[in-house]
Amino acid sequence: MLFNSVEYLIFLPIVFFAYWAIGKFGNLKSQNGLLLIASYFFYGLWDWRFLFLILASTVVDYLVGLAIHQKQSQQKKGKLLLWCSIVFNISLLGFFKYYNFFVESFIDMVSLFGYTIKSTWTLKIILPVGISFYTFQTMSYSLDIYYKRIKPTRSFLNFATFVAFFPQLVAGPIERASNLLGQITNKRSFNYLQATEGLKLVLWGLFKKMVIADGIAPIVDDIFANYDNFSASTLIMGVTFFSFQVYGDFSGYSDIAIGTSKLFGIELMSNFKFPNFSRNVAEYWQRWHVSLSTWFRHYLYIPLGGSRGSKLQSIRNISIIFLVSGFWHGANWTFIFWGGFHALAYIPVFLMGRNTIYKDSVVAQNTFLPTFKEMGQLILTFAIVTFSRIFFRSESLQNSFAFIKRLFTQFHWEEYHHPMGYRMIDYFVLLVLFVVYEYIIRKDERSPFKFKYRAVRFCVYTLVVFCILLFYDDGVDRSFIYFQF
Amino acid sequence: MFKFLLKTAIYFVLILVALELLVRVFHLYPEDSPRYIDEYGVEKRVPHYRGYSVTGNRLQNFSEYRINDQGFNSYREFNPSYTKKELALIGDSFIQGFHQNYYNSIGKKIENNTSNLEVYEYGYAGWDLADQLHLIHAYKEAFAKIDKIVVYVKYPMDFERAVYAPNVDRIKLLQSTSFKIRDNIKLLYYASQIGILDPVKDLMVNNIENGNDKVEHTITSKDTDSLSIANFETLINTYPIDKSKTSLLLDKRNTSRIFLEYCAKNGIDIIDFGAWFEKSKKPVTLIYDKHWNNNGRTLVAKSIIDHLQL
Repeated sequence: MLFNSVEYLIFLPIVFFAYWAIGKFGNLKSQNGLLLIASYFFYGLWDWRFLFLILASTVVDYLVGLAIHQKQSQQKKGKLLLWCSIVFNISLLGFFKYYNFFVESFIDMVSLFGYTIKSTWTLKIILPVGISFYTFQTMSYSLDIYYKRIKPTRSFLNFATFVAFFPQLVAGPIERASNLLGQITNKRSFNYLQATEGLKLVLWGLFKKMVIADGIAPIVDDIFANYDNFSASTLIMGVTFFSFQVYGDFSGYSDIAIGTSKLFGIELMSNFKFPNFSRNVAEYWQRWHVSLSTWFRHYLYIPLGGSRGSKLQSIRNISIIFLVSGFWHGANWTFIFWGGFHALAYIPVFLMGRNTIYKDSVVAQNTFLPTFKEMGQLILTFAIVTFSRIFFRSESLQNSFAFIKRLFTQFHWEEYHHPMGYRMIDYFVLLVLFVVYEYIIRKDERSPFKFKYRAVRFCVYTLVVFCILLFYDDGVDRSFIYFQF
Repeated sequence: MFKFLLKTAIYFVLILVALELLVRVFHLYPEDSPRYIDEYGVEKRVPHYRGYSVTGNRLQNFSEYRINDQGFNSYREFNPSYTKKELALIGDSFIQGFHQNYYNSIGKKIENNTSNLEVYEYGYAGWDLADQLHLIHAYKEAFAKIDKIVVYVKYPMDFERAVYAPNVDRIKLLQSTSFKIRDNIKLLYYASQIGILDPVKDLMVNNIENGNDKVEHTITSKDTDSLSIANFETLINTYPIDKSKTSLLLDKRNTSRIFLEYCAKNGIDIIDFGAWFEKSKKPVTLIYDKHWNNNGRTLVAKSIIDHLQL
């Protein structure tokens, strides 16, 4: 079930009313029970067989969590149990997501030495939606218990609800038990302000998805599918539009997830903090897919030694997390290259000691307009990140390099026509207005409609819904990009 | 909770009202002129309506139409006489031409490239050959005065029935309360037009269809040809045509060879615009639907002028 589907439009109010009705007359157990059933129903609509996987991951980490806690005094046994959880979840992920990739890469490698293997080992595997997200979430639970950051929950119902909580189940934010599980184990009561903030975020998320991402998707698809027919000017436009598409798509999803959770009295962590206004690549990673970056920092980068060792060790650690992060996105060399490219862009910033200087500030912190220096930084960072998107979007490495080659060799201006015949100027105006609006609200990613006067708020809501209608195209694939990860 | 629900409901209603206003101000909605069945059993438009046809989102195609005295979209009234030179162009939505300004239609293009010729465009969306032949028969006095008749057909879709019957159900449906509501609430009409309501419709249709076993029939092209030709023969027997002045306008590329051979054998004149389309370097149809664009209409007009030596 997609957030932008009719099914969800029916599903959400039903669950919302039932949830608060139970909240008023029932107890926490029944409230969580309803959330769990709703979540499994939400997930099962994709393919009911996927439910067995999520259930398996839930059972394993629930039992491992309890066992680790019991064996706290015996460190070796605890470690062994932790490895059980890691091996199980990674195997799940490895089989469903990476098996064919490994087989094909092996065949390709062998063929380099002149041997030919017929590809009979590859399997027709359907990638279960959201598997990368919930396996990471369940693993983090066991890791947190092992590192004594949290205590395990004795309630299987609470734990299963934590793993399957439908707003963030299929594409995050990847929550840590210390944040989400704590809220699930406590009774929630309806909060008017929280619910209205939630609805506003849902509306803003729908705008980002249905207007920005889906609006420009046909253009991006057309340019990337036929890149060998276009000149550099069109390719630059295509990859820039893709940058906005993937941002609108994923941050839109996260906003809807966070907004929906607020309707249920649950606060999820922020996943996007206006990454397009980053002053260097390090700041970009503090603002883009925050829950994944945090996960890798806590559970991979720091255990590897982080930046505590020599510069060389730190560079190694940075390279590892970026390559793993790239690989996490998909079983394709393009994603590994994408990760590697970001590592190369990040390392100089790290060596100059500028990787944390923008941690607690936003561009033009105390002024309305950025300085010329900041403006230059924003443009440079956006250009680097956008360039890396060529790898992210291309079907194969060959396509990526062919795209880049054309970018540097076919440099002449050409007029581009929308594949469906729409006016291109509409999209340029839309993106400029979107960037300007995001710049205005850049200090608070959780309050997109912070207007003092009710009339202004009403006009903005109307305009947002109007844009959703204006940019609706029934030929566009409405699924979210990150569902494939 | 009550406050939340109440305020949400109020905002929802107010936003809908504001959207209705915006849709009206920017004229995003299509206007469909009313239809009826006249005393001769011909389904057509109610005369004297003018409006704008809108296709696609953001006014992607915005064109003006004008329904004349006779109930057809045309820049002129139809007054056939024996003293004038006239051509009747009969067809479905392609001839009706709501996707173009009424003053830039195929008929107008033919008139602009000929002298002393009046073109009468009898176009109505959804018409098939049965409708078209019934029209000629029903208005036989008028058509007797017209010098040339060109009937646009799509093979085999327009040959699916052998008996004409006016589509009373469609007229009833269009006059039903639900359609009246749609026509009066412009936001609803606009939303329906851009397809945003399709998922709701699909959801309802899927629910209805679930449980109903679908029987699939395999139809071969041979079956199609024999059925189409049989229907054509029956229709011609019911509504005889004057072969000396009637031509079928079609795209030979999409028409069965067997049918073309049948026409040749029976002395039915064919105007093939497909050959003109094939030569064209520019697109001939609109991007988002199959109707002819300005270039396509120009080529169709040229093919008719060329073939009939007008």
